[in-house]
Formats: sequence, structure tokens, C-alpha cells
Amino acid sequence: MEPALLAEQVEAERVEADEAVLSLDRWMGRYQEGDPNAPGVLIAAISPGLLRFFRSQPVSREQADDLLQDTWLRIHRVRHTYRPGEPVLPWVYAIARRARVDGYRREMRIAAHEKPTRPDEAGPGTDPPRHEAPAFETLIAALPASQREVITLLKVSDLTLEEVARATSSTVGAVKQKAHRAYKRLRELLQPEEKSLP
Amino acid sequence: MNCADIVRSFVDDAAASRSTPQAREHLDRCPGCRQLVAAVTAAGPDAPVSSSAALRTIERELVRDLHPVRRIAARRYILAGFSAVFLCAVAFGVYRLGAFGLAVMSPIQSVAILCALVLSAGLLAWSLVNQMSPGSLHRLSPEVLPLTIAACLAVVIAVLFHFYGEDHFWVRIGNCLKMGTPVGLLAALPLWLLLRGGAVLSPKLTGLAAGMFAGLAGATALQIHCRNVEAAHILLSHLGLAVLASFAGFLLGLIAERLGTRRGRS
Repeated sequence: MEPALLAEQVEAERVEADEAVLSLDRWMGRYQEGDPNAPGVLIAAISPGLLRFFRSQPVSREQADDLLQDTWLRIHRVRHTYRPGEPVLPWVYAIARRARVDGYRREMRIAAHEKPTRPDEAGPGTDPPRHEAPAFETLIAALPASQREVITLLKVSDLTLEEVARATSSTVGAVKQKAHRAYKRLRELLQPEEKSLP
Repeated sequence: MNCADIVRSFVDDAAASRSTPQAREHLDRCPGCRQLVAAVTAAGPDAPVSSSAALRTIERELVRDLHPVRRIAARRYILAGFSAVFLCAVAFGVYRLGAFGLAVMSPIQSVAILCALVLSAGLLAWSLVNQMSPGSLHRLSPEVLPLTIAACLAVVIAVLFHFYGEDHFWVRIGNCLKMGTPVGLLAALPLWLLLRGGAVLSPKLTGLAAGMFAGLAGATALQIHCRNVEAAHILLSHLGLAVLASFAGFLLGLIAERLGTRRGRS
């Protein structure tokens, strides 16, 4: 595709995305006012992105669904803290991120207190946790947690640098630095034997 | 164009720059960059979604408990609240303890140290205001802010005041800590009430900042009250109070975080 055409397409997608975000802002306002239609619209609009965010981590499908539910309950509890006019997605992802951290700690605690079940002791129909990790997820698994999170939010959840900074309570500069290090590391992982070409 | 430019194009989200003839030429020659572009482009938003039944269950849960809520106050009002807490705690401390320190310090010392303390408290208050509302943009990372403030204040104190040996060094430090602690506690209670109005996602970090904010109220009152202008004394007792308070806030936050995780489990 020609660069000019690509730039036009990117611009059109950006305008579309801006409109979607404005619409989310309006629905958040209605959610705060108690409109019973608002939760459904917001859940339908935001949940796919949240699920992608959760599933990009090493968790099973069931755990991701639990985290999604936990996140929405948290969002519901603190919905008064959303300020109209501010971006909705960083607000949502900041809460989702917290839910994920707490979920991970819970899992760790359970794992520490429970004896591992041997495969022959597993009951009938017990599915092992599924790790549906496509190539990108396998690749980013080699990154440090903070870099992995930034890359996930940027590429899987499709947030901008500023939105990622907001979601992670960080600065734009720090996010940019982490992203740069992460891409550099990924580049090295993909071709470790050769040096960078000029 | 080289490999570093390709990496930079991802950071800057400049997809168009990877379609230029120079970029294509580089990608043709460089399998590593080609794989990187392919892997990152494949990470697009096309993962499976949850079942609609699961989403409807979540929706029903939310609608069942749906009622209008009062939005969190504007940032400037919350900031005004924090400022009022700080000023009231310092005023109360000075009223109870006396303002003997101002007579001992030179005008430059007084203005510089008090400005530094108030500015530090202001930065922490602004950070706390942002921490109360998820998704806020932080100009200074809340993780490093308390540490940076403690380091800057230590430098200011070391530059403004002189080091000289004094008798009963530790006893005097103990006395100052004893006098400053109630002022810090006095600031901590309304601070906690203010923070409860928001959504604290990281109790550890918020506790660290809130503890230091309350401790700085005590340190400011001590600075106005204390006749001792020896640098080591100010560092260990006045600034030390703020550091101890931030440590206490961090521990309380840690406990709150652990309890929150346990409650979530049950």
C-alpha cells in the first residue's frame, strides 16, 4: 500500500476511534447517573479489549473470565471516580490492572497452600488450564513483567502511549522507555545471532 | 533506515514510516526486523471474546445494584482539602508548641526551608489527588516521588544549615519526634477521610505518599518550633519524622492491600 494511502487510512481509523471514545465517555456519564442501559453498552464495548488484555497473560480462559467479572464489579464500585471528559479506557485498564495483580496474588496464595494434584488423581472431565498463546504472546513472555504489560497495553489493547501512562500510573517518558527496551529485546530475541543491520 | 529506526517506529506508533521504500529495503535485507514487524502486527485486536451469556450475567449483576452516584469532586477542590489539612495541622502544632525556631533561623533559612517543605507537601498532595482517580496522568511517577522529595529536602537542609557537634544529640531527636508525631497523626486522620472519597488502587503507594504528607505537616511544625538549627538534628528528627511517617503509611497500605486480596478471595 502507498504511504499516502496508508496515512489516510490511519487517520480515518483514528477519527473513528476518537468518536468511539467520545461515545464511551457519554455512556460512562449515563452509567454514573444510573441509566440501566449504560452497563450493557459499556460491557459490550469494553469487555473484548479487557479479555484480550487478560488472555495475553499466562492465565487460563476461566481465570480470564473471572478477572473480567472481578474488574466489572470493581468498576461498578468506583464508578463515581470517573471524571467526565477524561479518557475512559485508561480509567478502565487501571482498574483491570489492579484486578489482575490481586488475582495473581490470590492464585499464588492458593498454589502455596494446596498440594499439587497428580495427573492420575484428576477427576473426570477436569480440563487443564488452556494457555492459548499465539506467537506474539509466547514472544513477549520472555520480557520483564513491566515491559510485557506496556507492550500488551500498546499492541493488544491498542492504547496510546499517554493512555498506557495513565493506566499504569506512570509517566509518558517512562512508558516510552519501557516500550523501546521491550521492542529492542524482542528484536534481539528474534534474531540473536546477527547484529543489527545498518 | 536501520534496525534501530524500525524499533523506534513501533515506539512512536508510526506505521507509515515502515512502508517507505527505505524501510522496505531494510526489511527485505533484515530477517529479524521482518519477523518483529510480522509478530507485532499479528498482535492486533482479534482475540476471542467471552460468551454473551457471561457478559449478560455481569450486566445483570451491575444493573441490580445500579443507582445514581455523586461524582468525585474536581481536582482543585480535593487539592484545597489537602492544603487545608496541612495548614490546619501545622497551625495547631505551632499554636501548641510555639514558634521559637523562626527567631533562631536567618530569614533566608526560614524562607527556603519552609518553602521547600510546603512545595514538597504540595507535590505529594497533587500526586495523591491523581492517585484517588484511576487513569490520571502523572507528571511525576508516584513510585519515585516520595524518595525524590526526601532526597531533595536532605540536600536543602544540608546546604542551608551547619553541621556541628552538640550534647544530648539523640535525646533531642527523641524529643522532637515525640512533639512532631501528634501533629502528623492529626493530619493523617482527615487525610484518610479525604482519600476514602476516591479509588485507591495501590494502597502501598498511596500510603507511602499520604504518610509522608502527614509527616511533612509534623516536620513543618517542628521546623517553626525547634530552636535547634544543627543540620544533623534537622535531618534526623524533622525530616526523619516525615520518612518514618511515610514508612508507617507504606506498612498500613501493605496491610490494607493484603487484607483486600484475602477478602477478594473469600
